[in-house]
Amino acid sequence: MNRAANNITHESAVSHVTGKAVYVADMHVGEQMLTGKVVFSPYAHARIVSVDFTEALKVNGVVDILDFNRIPGINQLNPLVHDEPCLAVDKVNCIGQAILLIAAENEHAAIEAEKKIKISYDPLEPVLTIMQARENGTALAKTRKIETGNPEEGLLKADHILEGELKIGGQEHWYLETQSALSVPGENMEMMVYASSQNPSETQHVVSEVLGLQANQVVCEVKRMGGGFGGKETQANHVAAWSALLANASGRPVKIVLFRDDDQKFTGKRHPFEASYKLGFSKEGMIVSYILDLHADAGMATDLSMAILERALFHADSSYFIPNMRVTGTMWKTNLPSNTAFRGFGGPQGMVVIEHALDRVARFLGKDAAEIRYRNFYGLNDRNITHFGQLVENNRLFRLWDELIISSEYYKRRAEIRSFNQKHSFKKRGIALTPVKFGISFTTAFLNQAGALVNIYKDGTVLVNHGGTEMGQGLHTKIKQIAALEFGLPLEKINLSPTNTSKVPNTSPTAASSGTDLNGMAVKNAIDKVKIRLDSLAKHLLTDANTASGEVVYNDGLVFLSSNPDKTITFKELVINAHLSQISLSATGFYGTPGLHYDKEKGRGNPFHYFAFGMAVSDVEVDTLTGMSKILRADILHDAGQSINEDIDLGQVAGAFIQGVGWCTTETLRYNASGQLLNHSPDTYKIPGIGDVPNDFRVELLKNAPNSQTIRQSKAVGEPPFMLAFSVWLAIKDAVSAVANHSVEPDFALPANNETVLLSIEKLRISLKV
Amino acid sequence: MEKNILQFLLNDKLIEIDFLKEDFLPSTTVLNYLRMQPGFMGTKEGCAEGDCGACTVVLAEVQNGELTYKTIDSCLLFLASIHGKQLITVEHLAEINDQKIKLHPVQQAMVEHHGSQCGYCTPGFVMSMFGMYKNAAETDNEELTDAMAGNLCRCTGYKPIAEAAQACCKNPKPDKFSLQQVEIVKRLTQIRKHQSTLEISAPKQIYLLPSRLDEALGFREKYPVAVTINGATDTAIRQNKTHEFLPNILDLSAVEDIKHQKEGSAFFSLGAGTTLEQFKQFVKANFPGLMPMLKVFASLQIRNVATIGGNLSTASPIGDLIPLFFALKAEVKLSSRTDNRMIPVEEYITGYRKTSLRHDEILEAVQIPKPEKGLVFFTEKVSTRRDLDISTVSSTLRLRLNTDNFVEEIAIIYGGMAAQVKRAVAAEKYLLGKQWCFEEAERASKLICEDFTPISDARSNAEYRVAAAKNLLLKLYLKSVDNNEGLSL
Repeated sequence: MNRAANNITHESAVSHVTGKAVYVADMHVGEQMLTGKVVFSPYAHARIVSVDFTEALKVNGVVDILDFNRIPGINQLNPLVHDEPCLAVDKVNCIGQAILLIAAENEHAAIEAEKKIKISYDPLEPVLTIMQARENGTALAKTRKIETGNPEEGLLKADHILEGELKIGGQEHWYLETQSALSVPGENMEMMVYASSQNPSETQHVVSEVLGLQANQVVCEVKRMGGGFGGKETQANHVAAWSALLANASGRPVKIVLFRDDDQKFTGKRHPFEASYKLGFSKEGMIVSYILDLHADAGMATDLSMAILERALFHADSSYFIPNMRVTGTMWKTNLPSNTAFRGFGGPQGMVVIEHALDRVARFLGKDAAEIRYRNFYGLNDRNITHFGQLVENNRLFRLWDELIISSEYYKRRAEIRSFNQKHSFKKRGIALTPVKFGISFTTAFLNQAGALVNIYKDGTVLVNHGGTEMGQGLHTKIKQIAALEFGLPLEKINLSPTNTSKVPNTSPTAASSGTDLNGMAVKNAIDKVKIRLDSLAKHLLTDANTASGEVVYNDGLVFLSSNPDKTITFKELVINAHLSQISLSATGFYGTPGLHYDKEKGRGNPFHYFAFGMAVSDVEVDTLTGMSKILRADILHDAGQSINEDIDLGQVAGAFIQGVGWCTTETLRYNASGQLLNHSPDTYKIPGIGDVPNDFRVELLKNAPNSQTIRQSKAVGEPPFMLAFSVWLAIKDAVSAVANHSVEPDFALPANNETVLLSIEKLRISLKV
Repeated sequence: MEKNILQFLLNDKLIEIDFLKEDFLPSTTVLNYLRMQPGFMGTKEGCAEGDCGACTVVLAEVQNGELTYKTIDSCLLFLASIHGKQLITVEHLAEINDQKIKLHPVQQAMVEHHGSQCGYCTPGFVMSMFGMYKNAAETDNEELTDAMAGNLCRCTGYKPIAEAAQACCKNPKPDKFSLQQVEIVKRLTQIRKHQSTLEISAPKQIYLLPSRLDEALGFREKYPVAVTINGATDTAIRQNKTHEFLPNILDLSAVEDIKHQKEGSAFFSLGAGTTLEQFKQFVKANFPGLMPMLKVFASLQIRNVATIGGNLSTASPIGDLIPLFFALKAEVKLSSRTDNRMIPVEEYITGYRKTSLRHDEILEAVQIPKPEKGLVFFTEKVSTRRDLDISTVSSTLRLRLNTDNFVEEIAIIYGGMAAQVKRAVAAEKYLLGKQWCFEEAERASKLICEDFTPISDARSNAEYRVAAAKNLLLKLYLKSVDNNEGLSL
């Protein structure tokens, strides 16, 4: 595919720019629709002594108020591990745990009702930090471990050992569209749920469970999300279940849209991690042994925390071959809202520690950090087995390095920065190059499956249904392109249906960057099935006594035999013929990624279908009097395989990078002593703005890099570029380090906000004076 | 009775609202109003506090016979305040003929540059770009970016959006709005001519929108408990987020005689209704040393409506303008029906969100002395994010040196370090009469702790505030000696 053919714009772009794109908050279901409101716990940990909402029920416009007694089914939000009550019974375990649900004619009535609700609590001591959790022994599950070689012996053989700790912050998703759901009751207890969910099948499942219904009585539909980033993989189920309960109780449609501050305060975030490590290395800077111990804050419930921890463990090597390694990880329960999936899914937290440690190695040896990284890259032919035993195939690190080191002018920039720093006392610049190697597949192997339903209509147009959800990533656009190519039809003949559990059942979440890989294959499978039926008809119609039979070709709206391209029929004619010949024009498709397995006990296996790679060089300027920093230039080269849509992939890369920059710099979660999130609105929680984008921002995809065994030889692109932002984080560290002329290892943490940076610099200044 | 009826153009349709017959309040935000109307779901709520710009709309109003177009956060805009204006929403930009959509150039650019991903922030960006498009003559590259600092996007990393803006706003061609301008001016003028002042007595809320100062003073006397607003970008947040009910509102945003910016022989006089955007232009022309504060002040959507009178009267402990007015030794003119008085801004602010404004008074103007020879001003602000972020700490310097480089006059003002904006008295005292050099500035910076014991809050820990506050004094020193040590970007 050439670029002109594949850079079509987002299939909803015109709807987006004209304000016609519909989100859950925009949906109306006639006059009878009610507003749902959730009463959340203001305590991180407390016993509920009494709940009294009799006065609230009298408020004009209030239709119903539900507590846990009114749940007809199971009082649980997590379908697997039952540790998340839908509505609190006698105890609350975090601020933001739901206690009551209000259905009212309008928002005003719901607000008035909430004011009249009396709940008394008996506060208990909360566990609010990883340290407190470790002291209290509140592990969520037993410690996970992956080990290779002999780490202790490795350390003994190393020329040098560096030990250290690193604090890694959480991150609020800050999808522009807050959590929202609209439930519409039907006949015989049936429930239709319009959700902003990355996981409609699970939303359907959870709703059917809380309502005590069979799965076949609940339908979940997702048109689009206003951003997800993992935050709507499990936690979209919560609002969906709450709205369904109210709809079920009132017999009327109920919509819940979380207010921004409530969404920030009460929903889960990226997991904060604390790491301690020992890194043994040779005098040339080669890693000999690495021991890493990770501890993470799961929040109050299991959610996806163990899978997230697992991915952190899998990615603790980043892009480096480590002959002796042990990584252990423990998830700790605290009294904070349950942390959840967020782009990278633990991968970033696992990777950042070794990137940080290698930065130390470089400073320790007085070498260029980029070169230390390069030396330790996985090899092409040897040194290519990960710590969990998977072969790193089609390693693109060296190609990326070779191209980026030149295109980014790395050495020239480094030299310029050195001379800049010699001339300036109060502002310093820094530069860093960091690689990404990211494993693609759900690490829970069975989740790597997808379904599709392709319908051809008698007018020759095609409606594609698949299990993936659209959250802005361009999945539907790519699927549309795939279907158009497979059918040889122009794009306008293909339409994408909203994701709907009654069309394609039992789907996996749209997560783990897998949307196109899995659903694209499932759609192709469905199309292949229909085409087999159409092929025989086409052969029958196109073959006569004079033509040898050939392959059926679908191109440009026409169908012909490869042996005789001059004799054609239109796709539409073929379709009408098929209908008249009693041939089905609809097919389901399915795909399951082959060859995936992983033994959790042994820490061995092939959990990933393949690896995606990327590399970035960033330089920054730091004001050493305030700690404020600014990215001057960033160069990214990313491996998206044979891109299905280059512009969409470039958008994913740039967007993920900037989101990563937010996590690495300004996005700081601040809590008070009782567990309340202090910065619960964009007034004080700062995601990157347009002014934070590098003035010089060069984003490119690696050319001529087809992937094997994936749809149209493409690669997943959603998460991997997020971690390219480490280049910014380490460039800031490089600039900080320049304050002491790189002679002292600076204190550092993630995020490198003004505070971290300035206090680190002040320490360096003191150490210089001593 | 006609004073009860709000009239404005919603795109090209005249809307008349008689609040006696409606169950929503005059202070309903424009965002909430729009979302109640069928077919107006394009304007999105992202935060309800003016930080994300998803609700950006454009207000057109008649000035000197022409339309001016301003982007505004509709979540912070009270409905009754748009009397006599044209409210332009995202739905109105494209033209639809025979089921075919002809996109506006800004929309076309967003599509072509892949400026939308999830699409939720997109209408807001489109409206910001439309605002730029209509004001493009005065827009350079930096201002293009600045005009979108009030719009957050979590998907794209902004790169394609910035590219789209540059592509379409560089050489704007006449659009359908240009063609309709004469007609719209006529219609809006007619509304104002017919009724320029509103005195709405809705069942639950009195909303007063005077168009002249004497009317405003009359209302102030008649309704002394009314909450006075002038831009409402602070008050609207209270209504949105704490559901504070405002039974009486006196909205000064339409009072023409407090919108002046005049230069006298000894003073500048700025009407309290001077918007922050106008003030930014004023500072750029007259006190360039104070531009670092204005450059990163709020967002264009907020600066277009927020006023200097409003900012002063919030008496915020940070209140990013207040330190500047301290340094400038500005005075406020407080007027009532019977008298008026001038008091220094330093006396106007009496405590945490408290002022000395009486219940019969209106803050009419701010008077700024023209600087004597040798007097210089500098300001520096630190914030978590550079743009659209209130200061964690800010420091502002008023300085005059004698010919031997000794300090003859000095004021050092901090925001974000105490319950109200405050001067660093000990440091000032130390530096007065000293040589103006780095070593003395460094010694003085150590005295900051004598005057300030800041708190830890949602923006920062106290430890950082202290460290940054000390360093800011050094930074101001470096600026004053023209050392290029500020962030160069």
